[in-house]
Amino acid sequence: MSDSVVRVQGVAKVYRRDTQEIPVLENINLEVAPGESVALMGPSGSGKTTLLNLIAGIDRPTRGRIEVAGLALDGMSERELAKFRSRHIGFIFQLYNLIPVLTAYENVELPLLLTRLSKAERRTHVMTALDVVGLTDRIQHYPRQLSGGQEQRVAIARAIVTDPTVLLADEPTGDLDKRSEEEVLILLKRLNREFKKSIIMVTHDPKAAASAQRTVLLEKGALVTA
Amino acid sequence: MKYLRLVLRNALRNKLRTGLTVGGTAFLMFVLIFIMTALTEMEAWQGAAETHRRIAVQHSTGLATPLPIDLENFLRSEAVTRHAEHLQKLNWFGGYWQDPKNFFANFGADHLVVRELWDELSIPPDAYARWCAQKNGAIVGKSLATKFGWKLDQKITLHGTIYPCNPELEIVGIFTSSDIRQEEQLFFRWDYLDELMGGKKIVGTYWMKARSAEDIPKLKEIIDGHTKNSSDPTETVTEKEFGEQFMAMMGNIRTLVASLGTVVLIIMILMTANTVAMSARERVTEIAVLRTLGFTGGHVVLFVLAESVLVTTVGMVLPLAASLALFNGMKLSPNPQFFPYFLIEPRTIVIAIAAAVLSGLIAAAIPAELAARRKIVDGLRQVV
Repeated sequence: MSDSVVRVQGVAKVYRRDTQEIPVLENINLEVAPGESVALMGPSGSGKTTLLNLIAGIDRPTRGRIEVAGLALDGMSERELAKFRSRHIGFIFQLYNLIPVLTAYENVELPLLLTRLSKAERRTHVMTALDVVGLTDRIQHYPRQLSGGQEQRVAIARAIVTDPTVLLADEPTGDLDKRSEEEVLILLKRLNREFKKSIIMVTHDPKAAASAQRTVLLEKGALVTA
Repeated sequence: MKYLRLVLRNALRNKLRTGLTVGGTAFLMFVLIFIMTALTEMEAWQGAAETHRRIAVQHSTGLATPLPIDLENFLRSEAVTRHAEHLQKLNWFGGYWQDPKNFFANFGADHLVVRELWDELSIPPDAYARWCAQKNGAIVGKSLATKFGWKLDQKITLHGTIYPCNPELEIVGIFTSSDIRQEEQLFFRWDYLDELMGGKKIVGTYWMKARSAEDIPKLKEIIDGHTKNSSDPTETVTEKEFGEQFMAMMGNIRTLVASLGTVVLIIMILMTANTVAMSARERVTEIAVLRTLGFTGGHVVLFVLAESVLVTTVGMVLPLAASLALFNGMKLSPNPQFFPYFLIEPRTIVIAIAAAVLSGLIAAAIPAELAARRKIVDGLRQVV
C-alpha cells in the first residue's frame, strides 16, 4: 500500500451553500500506483472534478485523508499546499487555461519561476517539455495564435516541465476536435508509458478512458468500481 | 525580477485602459507637483531664512507703519550691539520698471552693511565700491538683470507705488547668490530714497544680525522692552518669523492648496483602484491557474500591487520629467510676478515618488487581497 503515489482514504466532501449542505463525495477510497494511468469517469455532477481538485490540493476534503507522493495533504497550510503543488502536481485543464499575454515558451516557463533554476536551466527544461509535445517551432506564439490542440499541448508541456509526481487532467480532450483529441491522448499515453508518469484523468469520453490502464467510475459521489 | 515580465504584460493587457489610467494619473500628478511646488515656493523664504541669524524690527501695528529714525540711536547703543551687528535700515519700495507688470522685489537699503548682513549675496568689490560712491546707484540680482535685459551702467527709473517718488537709478553692480531666488531683487540706497522723500527719515524696518542664536531672544526682549511704552512700540522677529507673517496673510490659500493636493491624491487612488479592481476581476481564472501551478496568495498580492505601482509610477515619471524640464530647465513660471522662480525641489520629487508608490499600493490593496483570498476552485469555476 505504501507504494501508492496517490492514496485517498474515506474522503468526503460537502459543500455548504447558506444553511444547505450539499454532499458531493462520500467515503471515497482510491489508490494509484506509480506509473499507473487512471481514468475517472462518471456523469456530470458525480464529483469527478472535485476528487481531482482534492488530490491536487486545491480544495480540502470535509473528511478523510489524502496522501500524494507520501505526503499527507490534511494539515498542510496554504503555503505548504502551494509548494506541494509546484513540486508534485502537473495539472491539465479542459480549457487549457494558458496565460494569454505570455508566449508558449513563457507559459511553459511559468512553473519554473518558482524554482531556483537559472534562466539557462529554465530554458533547457522548457525546450525539453516543448520538444516532448512537439511544439518547439511555436515557442514565440501567443495562445491566440495557436489551435486548440496546440494550446492543449502547450498546457501539457507546462504541466510536465517541473517533472511532477502526478499528472492530473480534467477533461483534457473535452474541448478538442477529433484529430487534436487523438494527438493529446497519444501524448498522454506516451507520458505514461515512456516517461512513467502517473496520470489521473477525468473524462466523459469512453475513447479517452480506454487509453488509460484502469477506469474508475463515480456515481452520485461514490465510487462504483475501483 | 523574474516576475517583471508577467507584471508588465498584465499591465499592458488592456492598452487603452492602462493608457487612460496612466494619462489620468499623469495629469493628477502634474497638478500635485504643481501644488507642492507652489507651496514650497511660498515657503522658500522661510526655509532660507532659517540658516541666517538675521532679525527684523518692525512696528508692532504692522509693516505699513514706519518706525522713528531716532530708534536707530538705541539700536546702535551698547545694549543692543552687545548682541547684534550690521544694523541696516531697509524699506520695501514696491516699485515697478516701465510697466506695472514688471513688478519685482526692490528695496531702499543702507548700503554700507549689505555685504555683511546679506552675506549669501556675492557682490563684486568694484561694484560695491561704485555703489558706495554713487548715491543713485543700484545693485541688481543677475537673474533679474537677465530677465529685463539690464546691463551695467544702464539707467532705469522705478515707479513708486507706495512712496510718491520715482527713483532714477544707475545699475552699478550685478550680484549673484547661491539661492537663485535671491537674484530677483534690486537694492538702491536708503539715503537716496530719503533725499527723494524730502528727508522725512521714513524707516520701514531695521535689520541686524544676532551675534549668536542665544542672542535672539535677548534682542527681542531688549528692543521690544525699550519701545513698549513709547508711541511707536516695536515687534522684533527673526527673518523666519518675518516671512511667516506673509504666509499667515495667505493662511487660507495655503490650506486650500494643501486640501486640493489631498483631493488630487484621493482621486488618483480611486481611479487606480478602479482600474486594478477591473483588471483583477477579469483575471480571476488566470489567478486561480497560477495558484494551481504553485504560486501562493502572496505571489498574487505581489503581482497585483506591482502592476498598480507600475501604472502610478509611470504616471508620475512623465509629469515629473516634464515639470523638471519646464520649470527647472527652461525656468518657466506659471506666474512670474508672484513666483519669479517655480523650482521643483528635491523634497517635491521625493514626495511625488512616495505619493505614486503609496497610491499604487493603497489602490491595489483591496483588489489584491480579494484576489489572493478567493478559493482556487471558485476561481477555476468562474467564467469571466
